[in-house]
Amino acid sequence: MKIEVNQAVQEYPAPNGDGINRVLDGIDLTLDGGINMLLGPSGCGKSTLLKLMGGVRPLGVVSPTSGEVLIDGKPATGSHDDVVMVFQRYLNRPDLTVRENVAFPFRFKLWRDKVPVAERNERVDEMLEAVGLADKGSHRPSQLSGGQNQRVALARALVLRPKILLADEPFGALDAQIRAEMQQLLIDLIDKYPTNVVFVTHDITEALLLGDRVIVLSTPPANVADDIAIAEPRPRSENWLRSTEATRLSDRIIDLLRGHGPGTGGQVRVTV
Amino acid sequence: MWNPHEPLSAGTRRALGAVGLIIALLLWSGGNLMIDKGDYFLPAPWTVAAKLLSMLQAEGSLNLLTAVGWSLRRVLIAMVLVVGVGVPVGVLMGSSPRINAVLSPLVDPMRSAPIVAVLPIIVLWFGIEETAKVVFLWLGAAVFLIPMVRDAVVAVAREHLILAEDLGATPLEAIRHSVLPLAMPRIFDAIIVAVSIEWTYITVAEYVNAKAGLGYLIQTSKRLSANDGVFAGILVILLLALITDQVLKRLKRRLFPWEGEA
Repeated sequence: MKIEVNQAVQEYPAPNGDGINRVLDGIDLTLDGGINMLLGPSGCGKSTLLKLMGGVRPLGVVSPTSGEVLIDGKPATGSHDDVVMVFQRYLNRPDLTVRENVAFPFRFKLWRDKVPVAERNERVDEMLEAVGLADKGSHRPSQLSGGQNQRVALARALVLRPKILLADEPFGALDAQIRAEMQQLLIDLIDKYPTNVVFVTHDITEALLLGDRVIVLSTPPANVADDIAIAEPRPRSENWLRSTEATRLSDRIIDLLRGHGPGTGGQVRVTV
Repeated sequence: MWNPHEPLSAGTRRALGAVGLIIALLLWSGGNLMIDKGDYFLPAPWTVAAKLLSMLQAEGSLNLLTAVGWSLRRVLIAMVLVVGVGVPVGVLMGSSPRINAVLSPLVDPMRSAPIVAVLPIIVLWFGIEETAKVVFLWLGAAVFLIPMVRDAVVAVAREHLILAEDLGATPLEAIRHSVLPLAMPRIFDAIIVAVSIEWTYITVAEYVNAKAGLGYLIQTSKRLSANDGVFAGILVILLLALITDQVLKRLKRRLFPWEGEA
């Protein structure tokens, strides 16, 4: 499924007093399949861009301010059945069991009408199995670790069989070892349930390990500073990360984020 | 001693609480013995205790249990009404900035309004019987409950709304399934506060055309200069407020065992 971002500009009213903050500065981007990493410094507007793709209205202002974001040729306004988001915060309902959390979207009429009851239960069972929580269905989120909670959130998204998964730094709150496990899980899940992924991160290693494409955004107002294709098949090993190819890419990205590289280089002044 | 996070065992906490009570009783008794006309200005604990016992045996409206029954009844009726109106209104205000903008100038200043001064107007409109008393209690608690419920709803992280919206929820579904369940513990806290406010207003409510209730007992005792009766009445109200508070807090832990884990 194709995501097209045409000349997308996003502006917010400045938080203190009048004036306007421009976050996205006429982004042009076409994403068509695979895992696409949106990489950029904190606050560069990568989450805003992701929310535009998800059709949720950040801060309740008109979005995008100008330009357009199209999913399969149709404007990404409102909730799109084929596009589902996961966030850094797990957002599991603490009063529901793991199973009920995975089935959470079926509380909404849209999905109740779309998926018959029997199939819902089947899908929930299948997802619990797929994320390795089959034996934790009746636990509450507070009884799970952070990684397990994020597994629940992933299952809650993939139970809808989305064509596009939008992930907003989903593993940002996890420690290194768990993050590596979750990255592997994500790769496995995507093999099983083919989904295009747009994955926001500020972690260069994560971008290199997961992405078919790494789109580097500049500091706000953000534009595309670089667009890198990585052909190396997944799972990518520690050895590959130390290879000449990977270190060269990594150096190039670090340079970009520091503002010495090509693209809109001069505007990028960030220490990573 | 000076560690704000020092963990106290239940036993230590109770023992220290008992120490506080004993100190209060000692000061109270000492005051009674030292003050001139102590039995008038500060009736001793044992005088008040004796009074409580005699009130238990009194006839008619002067009977302690009858009075407790009346006061409890009024507080509970007002509680049901204040929850029935206050929670939905607060939820509406919290869910829609537009509704909040309309209602907040009407509701928010009322927290500092002299509710007691409104009593004559309530009597004018609702008469001097039960209705006026319940309306007064209702008003006194509602002006606090409504803004607290509103704040509880607003306090739910907006990411939960974004998630619901992304999953295709209608705005009402998002409020019903993502906001309200998460706001419930704080809404329940607001209800606990509202009920304790009703207890503080019960005597005022029962001053008008008092024929029964704890306020009536206190007022009657005061008229007869029987200050032991006034103290007894106040103690009973404190005790009832404490019991309702504990019952509601237990209920809250039962209803929302996951609170604080979100």
